[in-house]
Amino acid sequence: MDIISQLQEQVNQIAGIAFNTFGTLQRDAPPVRLSANYPEPPAANTTPEDAANFAEQPKQMSAALVKAAKQFDALVAALPLAEGGEEAQLKRIAELQAENDAVGQELQRQLEAAGTKTGPGVVQPSGR
Amino acid sequence: MATATYPPPPPYYRLYKDYLQNSSSAPEPPPPIEGTYICFGGNYTTDDVLPSLEEQGVRQLYPKGPNVDFKKELRSLNRELQLHILELADVLVERPSQYARRVEDISLIFKNLHHLLNSLRPHQATATLIHILELQIQRRKQAVEDIKRRREEAQRLLKESLGTLDG
Repeated sequence: MDIISQLQEQVNQIAGIAFNTFGTLQRDAPPVRLSANYPEPPAANTTPEDAANFAEQPKQMSAALVKAAKQFDALVAALPLAEGGEEAQLKRIAELQAENDAVGQELQRQLEAAGTKTGPGVVQPSGR
Repeated sequence: MATATYPPPPPYYRLYKDYLQNSSSAPEPPPPIEGTYICFGGNYTTDDVLPSLEEQGVRQLYPKGPNVDFKKELRSLNRELQLHILELADVLVERPSQYARRVEDISLIFKNLHHLLNSLRPHQATATLIHILELQIQRRKQAVEDIKRRREEAQRLLKESLGTLDG
Protein backbone atom coordinates (compact mmCIF):
# COMPACT_ATOMS: atom_id res chain seq x y z
CA MET A 1 0.00 0.00 0.00
CA ASP A 2 1.36 3.44 -0.79
CA ILE A 3 2.70 5.59 1.99
CA ILE A 4 -0.21 8.04 2.10
CA SER A 5 -2.77 5.25 2.39
CA GLN A 6 -0.65 3.71 5.13
CA LEU A 7 -0.65 7.05 6.96
CA GLN A 8 -4.42 7.30 6.61
CA GLU A 9 -4.83 3.75 7.93
CA GLN A 10 -2.57 4.60 10.85
CA VAL A 11 -4.62 7.69 11.75
CA ASN A 12 -7.79 5.60 11.73
CA GLN A 13 -6.09 2.98 13.85
CA ILE A 14 -5.06 5.59 16.45
CA ALA A 15 -8.67 6.77 16.55
CA GLY A 16 -9.87 3.19 17.00
CA ILE A 17 -7.45 2.48 19.81
CA ALA A 18 -8.44 5.73 21.55
CA PHE A 19 -12.16 5.12 21.57
CA ASN A 20 -11.78 1.44 22.34
CA THR A 21 -9.59 2.33 25.31
CA PHE A 22 -12.07 4.76 26.79
CA GLY A 23 -15.08 2.61 26.02
CA THR A 24 -13.65 -0.56 27.51
CA LEU A 25 -12.36 1.12 30.64
CA GLN A 26 -15.63 2.92 31.21
CA ARG A 27 -17.64 -0.22 30.67
CA ASP A 28 -15.56 -2.52 32.81
CA ALA A 29 -14.60 -0.19 35.66
CA PRO A 30 -15.61 -1.42 39.13
CA PRO A 31 -17.78 1.00 41.14
CA VAL A 32 -15.82 3.44 43.31
CA ARG A 33 -16.70 5.61 46.29
CA LEU A 34 -17.22 9.22 45.09
CA SER A 35 -17.29 11.18 48.34
CA ALA A 36 -17.42 10.69 52.08
CA ASN A 37 -21.09 11.70 52.07
CA TYR A 38 -22.20 8.77 50.00
CA PRO A 39 -22.21 5.24 51.38
CA GLU A 40 -19.76 2.62 50.25
CA PRO A 41 -20.93 1.17 46.90
CA PRO A 42 -22.24 -2.41 46.87
CA ALA A 43 -19.43 -4.93 46.66
CA ALA A 44 -18.68 -5.68 43.03
CA ASN A 45 -18.98 -9.32 42.09
CA THR A 46 -15.81 -9.46 40.01
CA THR A 47 -13.45 -12.32 40.59
CA PRO A 48 -9.89 -11.57 41.71
CA GLU A 49 -8.40 -12.42 38.33
CA ASP A 50 -10.87 -10.04 36.65
CA ALA A 51 -9.64 -7.35 38.98
CA ALA A 52 -6.04 -8.20 38.09
CA ASN A 53 -6.85 -8.13 34.38
CA PHE A 54 -8.60 -4.86 34.83
CA ALA A 55 -5.58 -3.30 36.46
CA GLU A 56 -3.48 -4.42 33.50
CA GLN A 57 -5.82 -3.07 30.84
CA PRO A 58 -5.02 0.65 31.08
CA LYS A 59 -1.31 -0.12 30.87
CA GLN A 60 -1.68 -2.37 27.82
CA MET A 61 -4.06 -0.02 26.06
CA SER A 62 -1.96 3.06 26.62
CA ALA A 63 1.09 1.12 25.42
CA ALA A 64 -0.81 0.27 22.23
CA LEU A 65 -1.76 3.93 21.77
CA VAL A 66 1.81 5.13 22.19
CA LYS A 67 3.05 2.43 19.83
CA ALA A 68 0.54 3.48 17.19
CA ALA A 69 1.59 7.11 17.57
CA LYS A 70 5.26 6.17 17.18
CA GLN A 71 4.40 4.14 14.08
CA PHE A 72 2.69 7.23 12.68
CA ASP A 73 5.79 9.31 13.29
CA ALA A 74 7.93 6.67 11.59
CA LEU A 75 5.65 6.69 8.55
CA VAL A 76 5.77 10.51 8.40
CA ALA A 77 9.56 10.32 8.43
CA ALA A 78 9.38 7.92 5.48
CA LEU A 79 7.40 10.36 3.31
CA PRO A 80 9.39 10.96 0.12
CA LEU A 81 8.62 14.66 -0.06
CA ALA A 82 11.15 16.06 -2.49
CA GLU A 83 11.96 19.69 -1.86
CA GLY A 84 8.44 20.25 -2.94
CA GLY A 85 6.67 23.13 -4.52
CA GLU A 86 4.31 22.48 -7.31
CA GLU A 87 6.32 24.68 -9.68
CA ALA A 88 9.43 22.57 -9.16
CA GLN A 89 7.48 19.44 -10.04
CA LEU A 90 5.91 21.02 -13.12
CA LYS A 91 9.29 22.27 -14.25
CA ARG A 92 10.73 18.77 -13.87
CA ILE A 93 7.84 17.33 -15.90
CA ALA A 94 8.48 19.86 -18.68
CA GLU A 95 12.19 18.93 -18.72
CA LEU A 96 11.39 15.24 -18.82
CA GLN A 97 8.91 15.73 -21.64
CA ALA A 98 11.47 17.61 -23.71
CA GLU A 99 14.06 14.89 -23.09
CA ASN A 100 11.49 12.22 -23.91
CA ASP A 101 10.70 13.91 -27.22
CA ALA A 102 14.38 14.14 -28.13
CA VAL A 103 15.01 10.49 -27.26
CA GLY A 104 11.86 9.54 -29.15
CA GLN A 105 13.10 11.24 -32.29
CA GLU A 106 16.46 9.54 -31.93
CA LEU A 107 14.67 6.22 -31.61
CA GLN A 108 12.63 7.00 -34.72
CA ARG A 109 15.81 7.80 -36.65
CA GLN A 110 17.44 4.58 -35.56
CA LEU A 111 14.37 2.59 -36.54
CA GLU A 112 14.30 4.17 -39.98
CA ALA A 113 18.00 3.58 -40.44
CA ALA A 114 17.54 -0.04 -39.46
CA GLY A 115 14.88 -0.17 -42.15
CA THR A 116 12.55 -2.55 -40.44
CA LYS A 117 9.48 -1.27 -42.29
CA THR A 118 10.86 -0.29 -45.70
CA GLY A 119 14.27 -0.31 -47.32
CA PRO A 120 16.95 -2.97 -47.60
CA GLY A 121 16.42 -4.53 -44.17
CA VAL A 122 12.72 -5.32 -44.51
CA VAL A 123 11.57 -8.43 -42.70
CA GLN A 124 8.33 -9.75 -44.17
CA PRO A 125 6.19 -12.20 -42.22
CA SER A 126 6.36 -15.51 -44.00
CA GLY A 127 2.69 -16.29 -43.32
CA ARG A 128 3.11 -20.01 -42.73
CA MET B 1 -45.12 -9.99 -8.07
CA ALA B 2 -45.09 -7.56 -10.98
CA THR B 3 -41.76 -6.61 -12.48
CA ALA B 4 -41.27 -3.68 -14.81
CA THR B 5 -39.60 -4.22 -18.17
CA TYR B 6 -36.35 -2.49 -18.95
CA PRO B 7 -36.76 0.92 -20.57
CA PRO B 8 -36.45 0.84 -24.38
CA PRO B 9 -33.15 1.94 -25.95
CA PRO B 10 -33.07 5.64 -26.88
CA PRO B 11 -34.53 6.29 -30.34
CA TYR B 12 -31.29 7.82 -31.69
CA TYR B 13 -30.33 4.53 -33.33
CA ARG B 14 -32.40 5.49 -36.41
CA LEU B 15 -29.98 8.31 -37.14
CA TYR B 16 -27.16 5.81 -37.71
CA LYS B 17 -28.92 3.79 -40.43
CA ASP B 18 -26.37 4.58 -43.15
CA TYR B 19 -23.33 4.79 -40.89
CA LEU B 20 -21.46 1.96 -42.62
CA GLN B 21 -21.79 3.52 -46.04
CA ASN B 22 -21.26 7.14 -45.02
CA SER B 23 -19.63 7.89 -41.67
CA SER B 24 -20.60 11.55 -41.77
CA SER B 25 -24.33 11.00 -42.27
CA ALA B 26 -24.78 10.36 -38.55
CA PRO B 27 -24.56 13.09 -35.90
CA GLU B 28 -21.27 13.76 -34.08
CA PRO B 29 -21.03 12.57 -30.45
CA PRO B 30 -21.97 15.29 -27.93
CA PRO B 31 -19.07 17.46 -26.74
CA PRO B 32 -17.65 16.77 -23.25
CA ILE B 33 -19.52 18.45 -20.43
CA GLU B 34 -17.90 21.32 -18.61
CA GLY B 35 -18.84 22.78 -15.27
CA THR B 36 -21.61 21.21 -13.21
CA TYR B 37 -24.06 18.60 -14.43
CA ILE B 38 -27.00 16.72 -12.98
CA CYS B 39 -26.93 12.92 -12.96
CA PHE B 40 -29.83 10.88 -11.53
CA GLY B 41 -31.01 13.89 -9.56
CA GLY B 42 -27.60 14.63 -8.04
CA ASN B 43 -25.36 17.58 -8.79
CA TYR B 44 -21.83 16.76 -9.84
CA THR B 45 -18.97 18.96 -10.86
CA THR B 46 -16.25 18.27 -13.42
CA ASP B 47 -13.72 20.31 -11.51
CA ASP B 48 -12.42 17.80 -8.93
CA VAL B 49 -10.61 19.76 -6.29
CA LEU B 50 -10.28 19.05 -2.58
CA PRO B 51 -12.50 21.59 -0.76
CA SER B 52 -10.56 23.54 1.83
CA LEU B 53 -11.34 23.06 5.48
CA GLU B 54 -13.05 26.43 5.88
CA GLU B 55 -15.51 25.48 3.17
CA GLN B 56 -16.46 22.46 5.24
CA GLY B 57 -16.84 24.60 8.35
CA VAL B 58 -13.84 23.08 10.11
CA ARG B 59 -11.18 25.21 11.82
CA GLN B 60 -7.73 24.79 10.28
CA LEU B 61 -5.09 24.13 12.92
CA TYR B 62 -1.95 24.17 10.80
CA PRO B 63 -0.65 27.45 9.32
CA LYS B 64 -1.98 28.31 5.89
CA GLY B 65 0.29 29.48 3.13
CA PRO B 66 1.67 28.42 -0.22
CA ASN B 67 4.05 25.72 0.98
CA VAL B 68 3.03 23.74 4.02
CA ASP B 69 5.78 21.67 5.62
CA PHE B 70 3.80 18.46 5.70
CA LYS B 71 6.12 16.36 7.80
CA LYS B 72 6.45 18.99 10.51
CA GLU B 73 2.72 19.69 10.64
CA LEU B 74 1.79 16.02 10.67
CA ARG B 75 4.17 15.38 13.54
CA SER B 76 2.96 18.35 15.58
CA LEU B 77 -0.68 17.36 14.99
CA ASN B 78 0.17 13.88 16.22
CA ARG B 79 1.63 15.33 19.42
CA GLU B 80 -1.41 17.55 19.91
CA LEU B 81 -3.60 14.50 19.46
CA GLN B 82 -1.78 12.53 22.14
CA LEU B 83 -1.98 15.48 24.56
CA HIS B 84 -5.70 15.84 23.93
CA ILE B 85 -6.33 12.16 24.51
CA LEU B 86 -4.50 12.45 27.82
CA GLU B 87 -6.54 15.53 28.68
CA LEU B 88 -9.73 13.61 27.93
CA ALA B 89 -8.67 10.83 30.26
CA ASP B 90 -8.03 13.41 33.00
CA VAL B 91 -11.37 15.11 32.45
CA LEU B 92 -13.19 11.80 32.63
CA VAL B 93 -11.63 11.17 36.04
CA GLU B 94 -12.08 14.64 37.55
CA ARG B 95 -15.04 16.34 35.84
CA PRO B 96 -16.81 13.68 33.76
CA SER B 97 -19.60 15.97 32.60
CA GLN B 98 -17.23 18.14 30.57
CA TYR B 99 -16.14 15.49 28.10
CA ALA B 100 -17.95 17.04 25.14
CA ARG B 101 -15.53 19.86 24.46
CA ARG B 102 -12.50 17.58 24.66
CA VAL B 103 -14.09 15.07 22.31
CA GLU B 104 -14.84 17.90 19.90
CA ASP B 105 -11.19 19.03 20.03
CA ILE B 106 -10.00 15.49 19.31
CA SER B 107 -12.29 15.13 16.31
CA LEU B 108 -11.10 18.53 15.04
CA ILE B 109 -7.53 17.28 15.14
CA PHE B 110 -8.50 14.13 13.26
CA LYS B 111 -10.25 16.16 10.57
CA ASN B 112 -7.15 18.32 10.15
CA LEU B 113 -4.94 15.24 9.94
CA HIS B 114 -7.05 13.67 7.23
CA HIS B 115 -7.28 16.92 5.31
CA LEU B 116 -3.48 17.26 5.33
CA LEU B 117 -3.10 13.71 4.07
CA ASN B 118 -5.67 14.28 1.35
CA SER B 119 -3.89 17.39 0.16
CA LEU B 120 -0.76 15.28 -0.31
CA ARG B 121 -2.48 13.24 -3.03
CA PRO B 122 -1.98 15.72 -5.94
CA HIS B 123 1.70 15.85 -5.05
CA GLN B 124 1.78 12.04 -5.15
CA ALA B 125 0.10 12.09 -8.56
CA THR B 126 2.69 14.41 -10.11
CA ALA B 127 5.49 12.41 -8.49
CA THR B 128 4.09 9.24 -10.07
CA LEU B 129 3.94 10.99 -13.44
CA ILE B 130 7.57 12.09 -13.11
CA HIS B 131 8.57 8.54 -12.26
CA ILE B 132 6.73 7.13 -15.28
CA LEU B 133 8.37 9.67 -17.60
CA GLU B 134 11.81 8.81 -16.24
CA LEU B 135 11.18 5.09 -16.76
CA GLN B 136 10.02 5.71 -20.32
CA ILE B 137 13.09 7.77 -21.14
CA GLN B 138 15.30 5.06 -19.73
CA ARG B 139 13.56 2.37 -21.79
CA ARG B 140 13.78 4.43 -24.96
CA LYS B 141 17.49 5.09 -24.46
CA GLN B 142 18.02 1.39 -23.91
CA ALA B 143 16.14 0.62 -27.13
CA VAL B 144 18.22 3.17 -29.06
CA GLU B 145 21.42 1.56 -27.78
CA ASP B 146 20.18 -1.92 -28.67
CA ILE B 147 19.20 -0.95 -32.18
CA LYS B 148 22.50 0.83 -32.77
CA ARG B 149 24.44 -2.18 -31.57
CA ARG B 150 22.46 -4.62 -33.69
CA ARG B 151 22.84 -2.44 -36.78
CA GLU B 152 26.58 -2.22 -36.34
CA GLU B 153 26.77 -5.98 -35.75
CA ALA B 154 24.71 -6.66 -38.88
CA GLN B 155 26.87 -4.35 -40.97
CA ARG B 156 30.01 -6.01 -39.65
CA LEU B 157 28.69 -9.45 -40.49
CA LEU B 158 27.67 -8.33 -43.97
CA LYS B 159 31.11 -6.80 -44.58
CA GLU B 160 32.78 -9.98 -43.38
CA SER B 161 30.66 -12.20 -45.58
CA LEU B 162 31.29 -9.87 -48.53
CA GLY B 163 34.98 -10.12 -47.78
CA THR B 164 34.96 -13.94 -47.69
CA LEU B 165 32.91 -14.07 -50.87
CA ASP B 166 35.28 -11.77 -52.71
CA GLY B 167 38.47 -13.27 -51.37
